[in-house]
Amino acid sequence: MTFSEFILRGVLAGSIYVLLAVPMSLLFSTVRTIDFAVGAYALVAAAVAASVGGVLGIAAGLGAAVAGSAAMALIFLLLKRFGCHNHIIYALASFGVATALASAVLWQYGTQSFVRDSFSQFWSLAGIRISPQGVLNLVTALVAVTILYVVIQRSQLGRMMRAAAVNVMGSELAGIPVELIQVGTYLVGGLLGGIAGLLILFTAGLDYSAPLSLTLSGFAAAIVFGIDNPFRALFGGLAMGVAEALAAGYTSGMVTSMVPFLFLLIVLGTSRFGDATVAGDRT
Amino acid sequence: MNKTTCKSWRRAAAVGATLGALALPLAAAAADAPVKIGTVLSLSGPAAVFGLPERDAINVVAKKLGFKSPGGRPFELVLHDDKSNPTEAARAVTQVINNDKVVVVVGPSTGSGILAAGPIASRLKVPLIAPAGTMAVGDRKNEFWPWVFRMAINDATSIEFILKDMAKSKAKKVGVLYQEDAYGKTGVDLAKEIAPKLGLEVVETVSAPYSATDLTAQATRLRNAGVDTVFLQVSIAALGTSFLKAARQIGLDKPIYANAGLAQRSFAENVGPEADGLRTLSIGNLPFEPIAEEKELSDLLKADGKVPQGWGEIVGANGLLAALAAIDAQAGKEITGESMRTALEGLCGFRSYARGKICYSPDNHDGWDGSSLTIVEIRDKKMRTLD
Repeated sequence: MTFSEFILRGVLAGSIYVLLAVPMSLLFSTVRTIDFAVGAYALVAAAVAASVGGVLGIAAGLGAAVAGSAAMALIFLLLKRFGCHNHIIYALASFGVATALASAVLWQYGTQSFVRDSFSQFWSLAGIRISPQGVLNLVTALVAVTILYVVIQRSQLGRMMRAAAVNVMGSELAGIPVELIQVGTYLVGGLLGGIAGLLILFTAGLDYSAPLSLTLSGFAAAIVFGIDNPFRALFGGLAMGVAEALAAGYTSGMVTSMVPFLFLLIVLGTSRFGDATVAGDRT
Repeated sequence: MNKTTCKSWRRAAAVGATLGALALPLAAAAADAPVKIGTVLSLSGPAAVFGLPERDAINVVAKKLGFKSPGGRPFELVLHDDKSNPTEAARAVTQVINNDKVVVVVGPSTGSGILAAGPIASRLKVPLIAPAGTMAVGDRKNEFWPWVFRMAINDATSIEFILKDMAKSKAKKVGVLYQEDAYGKTGVDLAKEIAPKLGLEVVETVSAPYSATDLTAQATRLRNAGVDTVFLQVSIAALGTSFLKAARQIGLDKPIYANAGLAQRSFAENVGPEADGLRTLSIGNLPFEPIAEEKELSDLLKADGKVPQGWGEIVGANGLLAALAAIDAQAGKEITGESMRTALEGLCGFRSYARGKICYSPDNHDGWDGSSLTIVEIRDKKMRTLD
């Protein structure tokens, strides 16, 4: 009972990591870089949604997150225009955007934590009390991953995205609007980050200091089974959630926080994904 | 790929940074206030929840005094953000002492920042007035101990205060959730040490990193251990919020106590019904039920357009008042860092915005005892002071 309860709680918790990991996976599939501002998009969405309130707040929160990602996309375009085609620089720029967004939230809303109530009743699943919010989080993550998978693997748009990632010049010569696709991918990342932020708002709450840790959790989930496929991000996020829950349930003290990272190291070091995971293999 | 353009951007940034660095000492040289007080506080990063109220209180008190000590000595504040980062705290303390020539520093805001800056303060012979309860800050084995004066309640006193309140409620088995840092670890160790003296037993401890978004596993473990009450040694509001929601979700229906990190207006107002009944330690109750001395500070903040948040303003304002009292104790004399240290060691019962008496001596740099502490209970988005 206890073991299965920790597994279930880990799966529900991991769904948040999935939504943070998927945008990274998607961007890497398309632009070959990482947007480290995903956690900041989540914060911005939560802060705006909490302050506006209601359905309008949710829409405003998502809009603010997409606006944040649009700022990152604009910086990406400017860097390209000025001749910087280094993917590391794009990633570093996203750190700057994350810091700016977190600072803007701190300036506008202060140090308060953002949290809202959702469900006051709980469900019982085989004797385990769970929140409908947790189930909603999981369903949202599954739906998002499924849509993205279908788009990337089965649609014309997805083929253009993958082509743009593999060969920019060749794609442009073939008439694929590479920059438009890249900017669109940043915006979708902002939307997914915003959704993650809204779910955290109603699940546990967050404050201005959350972006970096959220981003790192999402990044870990994105790379653990390979960054080039949203389905791997799904399993990565869920696996990280379960590892954390089992660590919290069965280990003591500071060991708890080490276990998920040990799990990450073991998977990266021993599995067939190996080096290719971070490099973006397509196997 | 246009590498040249990229390089030229980097070069421009390097030139800009160099010019900026050169401008700082020039600006400092232009300042001409008679006594300079450094304030190195966490204005960004995780500890800004404490640093910002500290800064606000220092500013309003300084304005109210017209930037003159109660004894009439003009002073100037030099403010730096330590970014909640110990390395930055050490750098900022070095800068305010070497470049701005301050004779005392209020800050850094965090225990780790103070521990990083302490050796520098000792080497440069300028005292720190430290607004943090971290035990190690006041450890006499530190070579820099003579130069650090605490303007907060040490963690041992705080945790004993909380556990005593728990013991009144007939609880026996205590579960502890702590955040994974020095603050959390020290707190849980102290709780284990102090609990048996009060007839309590810490039967289970669980921890959480700052990044945790779901603490249901931790709450489940405490529930399964059959605890009578829970103690939260966390200063990150989001962790407190997350745990309260998790406890409600998994059916952990036991009294919950928290250390002072959660005694903040924003926490009480934002968490929701899960926080009802949560008892937290606090230095006074500035936002909701201030006593006379605290009300004066609360009114000053409100008049300046600020909303009182919690004890951060109290330690910040009293840090400045301690520095000013030390300056006034040296009327007519040349003031240096060393003379400030000597004067601070002689301070006792100076005018403060607190319910307790602050006394330093050559053997006691902790200043405050438990008399300024209180337990507040969150109810209907307010913090109510308990008798």
